[in-house]
Amino acid sequence: MTQNELKRNCLIGLALAAFALPLVVSSPTYLHILIMLFLFAYMTTSWNLVGGFAGVLPLGHSVFVGIGAYTSTVLWLQYGVSPWIGMIIGGLLSAAVGYLIGKPTLKMRGAYFALSTMAFVEGVRVMVENIDMLGPFKLNGPRGLNIPPLPAQEAGFWSFQFATKEPYYYIALTMLILVLALTYYISHSKFGYYLKSGGEEPEAAQALGVNVASCKVAANVLSAFLTSLAGTFLAQLTLFIYPKSVLTLDLSFELAFIALIGGRGSIAGPVIGALLLRPVSEFSRIYFSDTLPGLHLIILGVVLIVVMLYQPRGLTEPLLGLFDRITAGFIRKPQEDTV
Amino acid sequence: MSLLEIQDMTMQFGGLVAVDNLSLSIEKGKILGLIGPNGAGKSTAFNCVAGVYTPTKGKILFDGEDVTSHKPWDLCKKGMGRTFQIVKPFAALTAMENVMVGAFATTDNRDKAAAKAADVMDMLGLGDKKDLKPGAMTIADRKCLEIAKALATNPKLLLLDEVMAGLRPTEVDEIIEIIRTLKAKGMTIFVIEHIMRAIMALSDEIVVIQFGKKICQGEPEAVACDEKVIKAYLGDDYAPA
Ligand SMILES: Nc1ncnc2c1ncn2[C@@H]1O[C@H](COP(=O)(O)OP(=O)(O)OP(=O)(O)O)[C@@H](O)[C@H]1O
Ligand SMILES: [Mg+2]
Repeated sequence: MTQNELKRNCLIGLALAAFALPLVVSSPTYLHILIMLFLFAYMTTSWNLVGGFAGVLPLGHSVFVGIGAYTSTVLWLQYGVSPWIGMIIGGLLSAAVGYLIGKPTLKMRGAYFALSTMAFVEGVRVMVENIDMLGPFKLNGPRGLNIPPLPAQEAGFWSFQFATKEPYYYIALTMLILVLALTYYISHSKFGYYLKSGGEEPEAAQALGVNVASCKVAANVLSAFLTSLAGTFLAQLTLFIYPKSVLTLDLSFELAFIALIGGRGSIAGPVIGALLLRPVSEFSRIYFSDTLPGLHLIILGVVLIVVMLYQPRGLTEPLLGLFDRITAGFIRKPQEDTV
Repeated sequence: MSLLEIQDMTMQFGGLVAVDNLSLSIEKGKILGLIGPNGAGKSTAFNCVAGVYTPTKGKILFDGEDVTSHKPWDLCKKGMGRTFQIVKPFAALTAMENVMVGAFATTDNRDKAAAKAADVMDMLGLGDKKDLKPGAMTIADRKCLEIAKALATNPKLLLLDEVMAGLRPTEVDEIIEIIRTLKAKGMTIFVIEHIMRAIMALSDEIVVIQFGKKICQGEPEAVACDEKVIKAYLGDDYAPA
């Protein structure tokens, strides 16, 4: 077995363990924490396509979560359309919005892009909070939308509602694995090379035939689509959405924090970041949500500062280095025995 | 037939005329040297040709086609490769991946791009540095990497902006050799260089500019003894009486 095979087997083992976990963990509370962990890893991986590889800092990705959540929920409540179909429609809508806001803003440099994405999500939130009816669609302003839970025997795949947490767990895990596979594929493709080079040295990339601006817009469209799917999932998991839950800067910032601390532009970064940081967010919400709301963002901010001081490329690089040394150790030992 | 033809090109930044009514042309398979004092407008002229700036006035013909105001990435696809005076490596990628970005201009396939990049790096003597990050490479190797990236795009015309600046004499000799090899393979090269020894050895013809204006053009020996050129470089005091 070569080192690469060993590493691959470790990853496969990890995925299998994740699939087997609900056999051991049955507490709905813990399953919920794990589901949210996968969901955040999924959203941050989607964010990473543009925020990591394309080298810009989007701080408004919750707008796509919101579009996904509202689209599928409105279609389900008013027209009985399966949330799975609503999920795709929301994704396409988000992709269109991602194109329209990406086209003019992705030409801007650094902070201007980040600021314009923040302004956009705030604008959308304020609008939704003030709109009860958008044409024929009922958004219900700041009160948000409630999805009445179906009785257990009617719940199921088509309605994207389940009586237990396990199905949500497996859906979230599958979404995460698929988006990681997609990211792996992209980062090894021409598009991935173009994104990374254009994100780092746009002028040099352009001279090598890269249309940097359109690559970034394409990445934003794909990222918006994928992020939006998480919005529908979140709506079905919580069965209640309102502007301040899905269209907030909090959520946008948390994705950026996870990516920056985990390691922007690496495939494992968002997963490692979510693994380390989601528990912080969960526990600070459980214990301090009444006394100190927003405490998790303060903690994440402090962690970010410390990480940026000592590991400016995020925690993934040292952790992968460790993984590398450990697997190398396992490979070497048997060979030394035979010599 | 000339591969590149610049006609009455002017580039203004606000009130500053960086390139002033410059005309020149390069025959296929030749090397044209562009020299001039610091700030003369050499890099700006390159940037206009490569599409970074749209010239205020004038026309650029590449392979018979008017490419004035075309974008850099389109010009690259048409066969224009360039290096930057200040090297711009992609720091997070390995040397090989840097070159692959260029190679993707000719193919969508990753394996083909990798093969192309490996070929170019072997030819330039970077064969054993493929897995290094640019940050771990010497200045000379980083300059060479710039050339490799440009070459991987399969250019017909190569624009080299001071690729020898800051190198030791032996390293300069190596780059001169590389450029000679490229020429022998039929590449057309437009080169900016301050190192006189190199530009004299390489160029079929030299254009001298000062304050954006062409002050002299000719074969290397003729240019070297031209009175205006000596004045431009050394000041009026040194002009032969
Ligand atoms: N983007 C820009 N905006 C404004 N002025 C510029 C710009 N680029 C170049 N200039 C000015 O144009 C003039 C020519 O600069 P350029 O870099 O072309 O000179 P150069 O001949 O390449 O010099 P060097 O030998 O030092 O590289 C300089 O005065 C420079 O300050
Ligand atoms: Mg210059």
